[in-house]
Amino acid sequence: MTVAFRDVRKVFPDGTVALDGFNLTFESGEFVVLLGPSGSGKTTACRILAGLEQASNGTVEVDGRDVTDLPPRARGMSMVFQNYALYAHKSVYDNIAYPLRVRGWARGEIDGRVRAVARLVQIETLLGRRPRQLSGGEAQRVAVARALVWEPSICLMDEPLSNLDAILRLQTRTQLKRLHTELGTTFVFVTHDQEEAMTLGTRIAVLKDGRLVQFDTPRTIYHRPATRFVAEFIGRPAMNTIDGTIANGRFEAGDFTLPAPGRADGPVTLGIRPEHIGLRRAAAPETISFRLDVIEVVEPDMLLFVERGDVHLVVRTEAAPEGLGHDTEVHLAFPEDRLHLFATRDGARLAQGVPPAP
Amino acid sequence: MSRPWRMVALAVLIMVLVVALTPYLWLIMTSLKTRLDALADNPVWLFTPTFEHYPKIFIDKGYLPLVMNSLVVATASTAISLAVGVPAAYVFARHDFPGKEDLFFFFLTTRMAPPISVVVPMFLMFTYVGLIDTRLSVILAHSTFNLSLVVWMMRGFFADIPREIDEAAQMDGHTRAGMFLCVLLPLAAPGMAATAVLCFILSWNEFLYAFILVAFEGRTLTVGIPGLVTPHGTLWGQVAAVAVVATLPIIVFTFLVQRHLVRGLTFGAVKG
Repeated sequence: MTVAFRDVRKVFPDGTVALDGFNLTFESGEFVVLLGPSGSGKTTACRILAGLEQASNGTVEVDGRDVTDLPPRARGMSMVFQNYALYAHKSVYDNIAYPLRVRGWARGEIDGRVRAVARLVQIETLLGRRPRQLSGGEAQRVAVARALVWEPSICLMDEPLSNLDAILRLQTRTQLKRLHTELGTTFVFVTHDQEEAMTLGTRIAVLKDGRLVQFDTPRTIYHRPATRFVAEFIGRPAMNTIDGTIANGRFEAGDFTLPAPGRADGPVTLGIRPEHIGLRRAAAPETISFRLDVIEVVEPDMLLFVERGDVHLVVRTEAAPEGLGHDTEVHLAFPEDRLHLFATRDGARLAQGVPPAP
Repeated sequence: MSRPWRMVALAVLIMVLVVALTPYLWLIMTSLKTRLDALADNPVWLFTPTFEHYPKIFIDKGYLPLVMNSLVVATASTAISLAVGVPAAYVFARHDFPGKEDLFFFFLTTRMAPPISVVVPMFLMFTYVGLIDTRLSVILAHSTFNLSLVVWMMRGFFADIPREIDEAAQMDGHTRAGMFLCVLLPLAAPGMAATAVLCFILSWNEFLYAFILVAFEGRTLTVGIPGLVTPHGTLWGQVAAVAVVATLPIIVFTFLVQRHLVRGLTFGAVKG
């Protein structure tokens, strides 16, 4: 099964353009994460796929069949909502059984399915309760059970973990990952949390301003971000970026210079992740000295906030060298294979040898 | 609350209760008094109760069908108002369309004109279509004001239901109609019960429309009472007996739904 958004555009009545020229194609069995800041259109994309929202232009196709105008019930998809949207007047059992009843399953079959899925998400003991008697985590699992019970082809989740507290969020995250492995159902998961996206997704679709910026595996997204935006959005602390120019095979920003062989001249933005900057004990030919401003300890790591002229960087390091403090000098190495170069004008990633846009 | 304040609150409460309940107690007592006791210059507090008024008025004078008329009119106008008003309220709560708030306000304005100004044209219209002196005319007349009540109250109850419930129901396989009938109506049921009771009470108590529109067969209880004001004097014992019976369903219903009633009248501002 293939799901495809083709040039989808969504304009809300108040004039907000939520999606604009949105294209995305994925296969069944994937755990697709729609990631982006608020207002990027990720929830709208999810709701258009569900049929809860109508695309203003463009089509949504499932297996080549245009489903753009199909009502939600005819799409074979289920959904987990951020606030769970359980039916308050029904028991947990009836909540889970409801999609089966509405879809006309046989009575005997329903009971077996409900109990099986309840076991899967570990809520067998809660079946007699009412939604208002559930904790947030329990309600969330009931919502997941209701979404999975009829074995839909795609299960959509709109920020399902956002209302959970931190520890529960991590546990539920792991559980979702396991569910996906066990069931093989296609999951489409909306979140603004890059860590959630990186841990859950088999592929992550990064959205910005209603457009797809990059759709890749978490690994590629991390190591080869397509734009400066993706680079800074993924990873905490965010990737360091330095605006400068390439001249004569070197990157220059004030008195901060690095070799950049094979790069065309012009304005660029250099990026390097805090965890990829090397901290050296002594000055060496490949190191550049910085003044240390602040140290933040994030056990087991440390974050060093350093500066050199106008260049401010964050360094994440595991080693904890002695004698570091405010105003001490540190020597940093910038491995060439860890450097990212982006066009200053539009933030697009610059491949080796490709000249930056004028 | 500190102790002195509690005493003050209690005192105020007692005063309100006395003011509110004395007329009603007076009414019940009058319905059990002989004509002589009822008209005594100095109020008689201790008397031998008589139960002659109740059978006299309801059996001998044939007021029992009037109870039936009131019941039919109140029930039917409540049903019509709900059938039309509840779906309308849902639309007001969920959908946006041009002029929505104006239309919503328009429903309220139907209650702003003094009823007496509306009832004469209504009389003419019902006469024209041959509905005058039928229960149906009163049912329709009462539905006009109950409809605005339903729309205004139920909008709040529907707005209290998260939109995601609608969407979850659609994802679970419902059509829009199925979603409304099978998921939203049950969730709004407490609010509907409260609204229904209020409609019922308003219709049951209504006098002016009923008085103008029906004179004989279709008379409701409230219209029956002035009939007891005769040239030979007012039959206070029978008036009181009718009034007591007329207030009974209202007291029962109010006790049943008072919690929801308060909630409904605040238009969903209070989170339950």
